[in-house]
Amino acid sequence: MTTPDPSPDPPPSGTGLRQLLGPAGLVGAGIFSVLLIMALVGPLLVSNNGISPVADPWAEPRPGLWLGGDDVGKDLFAQLIVGTRASLFVGVAVALVVTAFAALIGGAAAVGPRWLNAVLMRLADVVLTLPTLPLLIVAAAFLGRGVGIRIALLAVLAWAGPARIIRAGVMSAWSSAHLEVARAMGANAWHLLVRHASYVVGPLLIPVFVRAAMGAVIADASLSFLGLGDPTVPSWGTSLFWASTNGAFLTDAWARWPLPPGLAITVTVIALGLIGVAVEERINPVLRKVR
Amino acid sequence: MPRSARYAVGRGIEYLSVLALALVINFVLPRALPGGPLKTLGGGENVGVLSTEDQQRILAEYGLDKSLGEQFLTYLANLLTLDLGKSFADGQPVLDVIVEALPWTMLLVGSSIVLTFLIGVTLGAFGGLRRKQGKGSGLLASALLFDSIPSFWLGMVLIAVFGAFLGLLPTFGVGEGWDDPAGLPRHLLLPVATLTLTGLGQFFLVTRSSMLAVLSSDHIEHARARGVPRARLVRKHALRTALLPVHTVLMIEVGFLVGGALVVETVFAYPGLGRVTFNAIQARDFPLMQATFLVLTVAVVVMNAVADATYALIDPRIRTGAAS
Repeated sequence: MTTPDPSPDPPPSGTGLRQLLGPAGLVGAGIFSVLLIMALVGPLLVSNNGISPVADPWAEPRPGLWLGGDDVGKDLFAQLIVGTRASLFVGVAVALVVTAFAALIGGAAAVGPRWLNAVLMRLADVVLTLPTLPLLIVAAAFLGRGVGIRIALLAVLAWAGPARIIRAGVMSAWSSAHLEVARAMGANAWHLLVRHASYVVGPLLIPVFVRAAMGAVIADASLSFLGLGDPTVPSWGTSLFWASTNGAFLTDAWARWPLPPGLAITVTVIALGLIGVAVEERINPVLRKVR
Repeated sequence: MPRSARYAVGRGIEYLSVLALALVINFVLPRALPGGPLKTLGGGENVGVLSTEDQQRILAEYGLDKSLGEQFLTYLANLLTLDLGKSFADGQPVLDVIVEALPWTMLLVGSSIVLTFLIGVTLGAFGGLRRKQGKGSGLLASALLFDSIPSFWLGMVLIAVFGAFLGLLPTFGVGEGWDDPAGLPRHLLLPVATLTLTGLGQFFLVTRSSMLAVLSSDHIEHARARGVPRARLVRKHALRTALLPVHTVLMIEVGFLVGGALVVETVFAYPGLGRVTFNAIQARDFPLMQATFLVLTVAVVVMNAVADATYALIDPRIRTGAAS
């Protein structure tokens, strides 16, 4: 299109990442990139996988064993580095599935027939009311600890809120003035969606993705912390589970055992949060209409 | 039907659906596994070594040889008589374990939700008012920080600081419990603080953005032009309107805090349902986990219904049935 779009709330001009994120968002994106790189290459950089004992129980830190050993002499530093992969993978995978679910369900509820809207949104309300963590605990206990099941469970319980947001976004876009004009000129629904509504709804997918990832990282860590983690794969939550069962935060080992994985989770979630808040701030006109 | 009644009926149906879904999940999960319910309800991990006759005997003992429909009816009938089964670990009726633990969890969640609401809304309103002067970003940053910390880890840090280093507060359990009303608050302080701090963010952010929206609305402009004093303007005109979206967060927050309580209780060895759940996971005590899930679902629904009832107090449109 060569003529400028006369909509009252133009989407952020330019598609540059810098423009979309702003300074705080760029910091978040930077931290998250570092974490992603650590997840990809980290396991190659440490000498062991943190699963089998390599030192004395409660070994003190020394070169090569930077954070010392746990109660059976497993390398805590290796667990921290290798654990990045498991924790981030669950977060990103769940966020992808949730965003896709939310876009499909929210979009269908917004532009579909009234009965479909009613059914989907009542279902969303029901899922939102169910207490998530207790249900996750029961389901994980019965269905097993594999990462695929974990991702499916987290996604099935997390789509409802995001779907509501997308639905509101699509509805607001659908009734905006320039879409009315395009519709009056004979554009079909597909054209409206791809050429016009997507500019309003598209940016909404970023905070939806980011919030889903934040929730998934914390929920996954909580499950592992309760002893429902996959015992064969190191993760931050599992490290904290063992730190807690051994009361490590009451001993001299507090700074090298329970502290680093907790900080890693917090930093990951903050990095995602910075991206989310920054993007929300940029697309504020859209969000304000949504609320 | 008046608007308020229609709203109430709608919510009622929704809550019944939530309960029904929880019941079905609880019924289906143990029976959906490969290997069947024998593994989880019957003999534990070593089912494989049992002879066929033994397997049949266990199935019959638990009523698992009947049709699924019959099993479901028995399951519902048992629930109606509050028979939640027996704990795998010690054969104690699950109901007794739950009844003993539930008040502790309700105490923890209840005090946390009141505190999160009061503190979060106050700070959020403050943050919204300050936004105009370009201040309050420190509050926003802290809200983001506490929103990002896993509650169980924050609990560990608080224990290390206030318990181990400063020696100021007890770090686990509830001491003498109800028998020591003076010592109880000291034991509650750290768990409640943990749960409250991690729950604050949501209330803060929603109150803040809602306050910002309300402050730039016409009726505030009008009130300001009429010369309404600032304190009254904020309290009566702005905050009251701004609270409407916060109320929605309150409902979601109840479920969030109930889940948070489960992990926080574990850290503090607090004798509530979280502790029960943690032990049940370690012992693979499935009936206990299922009962906890069911009871917490009921608790969340009841708390939501209470929140629903209070909605009319802050939104007169619900009371009078006027269209929005």
